Amino acid sequence: MPAADPRAGREGAASPGAELRARQPKAIHSALTVLEEVARHGAGVTAQEVSDALGIPRATTYRLINLLVQDEYLVRMPDLRGFALGRKVLELAHLVAPAAPSQAVREVVAGLRASIRGGVHLVRYQGDRMFVLDADPDFPLSDTPRILRDLGVSAMGRLLLAESDTSTPPSQGNRDRPLPEDAAQQIGQLTPGYGCLALPIRDDHGDLVAGLCLSAPQQRIEEPGALLVQLRDGAARLAPLLA
Amino acid sequence: MTALARVISHPPPVPGLAARSPLHGLERRSVGFVDVLAQSVAAVAPSAAATTIPLLVAVVAGGAQIWALVLATALALLVAMNVNQFTKRIAATGSLYTFVSQGLGAGAAFVTGIAMLLGYAFISMFALAGAGYYLAILTHRLWPAGAHSPLGTSVAIAGLAGLVALVLTRGIRLSTRVALVVEAASVAIILVLVGALVAHTGPAVQWSALSLHSATPQNLSVGTVLALTAFVGFESSATLGVEAKRPFATIPRALVWTVVASGVLYLLAAYGQLVGFASLGLDFAGSDSPVNDLANASGLPWMGLLLDLSIAASFLACAIASTTALSRVMFSMGRDGLLPDAFGRTHPVHHTPFFALVVAVPVIAAVPVGCMIAGMGLWDTMEMLIVVAAAGFITAYFMVCAAAPVFLRRIGEHTVGAGAASVITCILLAAVFGVYLVTESTTVRSPGVLLFGAMMVGGVGVYALRLRRNPWLRESIGVHDEPVQHDVLGGAPAESASRAGS
Repeated sequence: MPAADPRAGREGAASPGAELRARQPKAIHSALTVLEEVARHGAGVTAQEVSDALGIPRATTYRLINLLVQDEYLVRMPDLRGFALGRKVLELAHLVAPAAPSQAVREVVAGLRASIRGGVHLVRYQGDRMFVLDADPDFPLSDTPRILRDLGVSAMGRLLLAESDTSTPPSQGNRDRPLPEDAAQQIGQLTPGYGCLALPIRDDHGDLVAGLCLSAPQQRIEEPGALLVQLRDGAARLAPLLA
Repeated sequence: MTALARVISHPPPVPGLAARSPLHGLERRSVGFVDVLAQSVAAVAPSAAATTIPLLVAVVAGGAQIWALVLATALALLVAMNVNQFTKRIAATGSLYTFVSQGLGAGAAFVTGIAMLLGYAFISMFALAGAGYYLAILTHRLWPAGAHSPLGTSVAIAGLAGLVALVLTRGIRLSTRVALVVEAASVAIILVLVGALVAHTGPAVQWSALSLHSATPQNLSVGTVLALTAFVGFESSATLGVEAKRPFATIPRALVWTVVASGVLYLLAAYGQLVGFASLGLDFAGSDSPVNDLANASGLPWMGLLLDLSIAASFLACAIASTTALSRVMFSMGRDGLLPDAFGRTHPVHHTPFFALVVAVPVIAAVPVGCMIAGMGLWDTMEMLIVVAAAGFITAYFMVCAAAPVFLRRIGEHTVGAGAASVITCILLAAVFGVYLVTESTTVRSPGVLLFGAMMVGGVGVYALRLRRNPWLRESIGVHDEPVQHDVLGGAPAESASRAGS
């Protein structure tokens, strides 16, 4: 083929992966730096401003930005000059799973499992995402993908939903049972005759960081009684370890 | 905590975004890369061009025809590069017309818009007539008893126009898929034919095809211009900016791939025909229908039938793709206010620019049929139509290449490379266009040149009048797809928050 413009060939004709191959680690680093700069500056930042702020050459910055726009991590605003973060950056958050729980955390959870009949699970919250930190091996979660995808079907998910919508206390929808205001409950959504109960774990600012959950037959979820005291004690001991 | 992590967990609101795009009504973000590529490839109609263009080029460029094809491919790539400065940044249905409005303003956009309408409308007429012409030849081959009548061809053209209208109204996915299948079959047939020819004449490479001994600057440039007309339409996927998924990735790639793939096919076809004629001791440039002559001389007459089928199919795909592009440009002008509002209307169920299609398709079918009724031969008519279309496209290419660096400067993303590419391409295109108009003026196709000139002047006049009556047009043109709240982090209430209440 004519060699009139090698660049057109590289940008357009190559497979999407090939563009990065040569200097891949560097390119990914630069791309994340650009995203970080757009996040810091806020919506409407121009390509020139990004280039100036990061000290990356203009042409390189434009190419990086246009690649990020192609993949929809960045969105060009209607004025065609400014940029905002695309909804797709949320997918980056999916990749960043929290670190495995520490030994101190595992010991507290193991203590609870030894004294409670039922599944005891620990989940972590980041933004509007939920991660399973420690699922009870003896009572596995019934449908983990669905629980993570559809926050409304589990007590632990409902805890997070209630957090982003302050008008509804998590206990709303609970039947008139002696449940504390801040707990969330679910019955029969995943397995008929079974349910779960979730207590929030908060840091010292009061932000929701994790959830301690019990899954058990319906009757014990509706009337937890002394179980609630044990769970609340466990949650209180986990808070300084997870915050 | 990094700024990125912070905004992901607590997205700050992004103001200034609407809930729907100004180009709402079409099937937004619905077709993938293969469909986008099919749109551009079908509009180029590479298999129809591969059987006709090498001959046309050989007649004017003599032994330099391979080099003329290489130069034309390079020039088309340069144009694609300039167009891609826009397709990477603007998703639109108005294609080059919208792009030029963003760079050079309303006046230049009018000129480009008229040129694009002429380009797409006349190439649609050309393709429809071509499909009817080859369908008639095919019918004649199968039923030699049936007379070769203009009436039969007219009915074929009208029927094909009805088919095009039906496919286009029923949705963008159907149009691009039909174009893809038809064009893929057509290209496959051509490749089989070229392969059969080369196998028949022996596999040795004939380097003499690359000899420059008979090339002069003049025949090389005329040959390049003619070869360039074989690429027009490659930009047409830019009209799918709203309907394509990930348009900023798929459309630029489709443009470049189309040029490269067509260029390779043309070179293969030209080489195959050249070698075939040389081995049989025939005169290539003196042939009327080289592949048919080759087929007969090689004792492979079945190839002729396949070939006619392939060309008819390629023309039909071209008619579908070109009318798709034409209707999107008219739709864009309807939303801009340049054409009456009705052109901006879409079909409530199929989300296609219904009104533009209803107006455009009958006109496209009526022109070739009318010319035949008036006593013109269909092939002569087609040669005239393609001159108007090619001139329209080259005009629009020139405008968009000139607009690219101005646009980049306006949004603060200009680079030295982009500026240089624009200047070089503009100079080459201006030279090519001059040579083309002068050359065509001396042939039997000269009425096509006059027609093009008259329609450009007339069209710009009409728009100038419209602009004088509606001065607000100056501000309103150039509508493009805009990100909606859902596309942006923080643009709309988070999904989880809206679900929490339920």
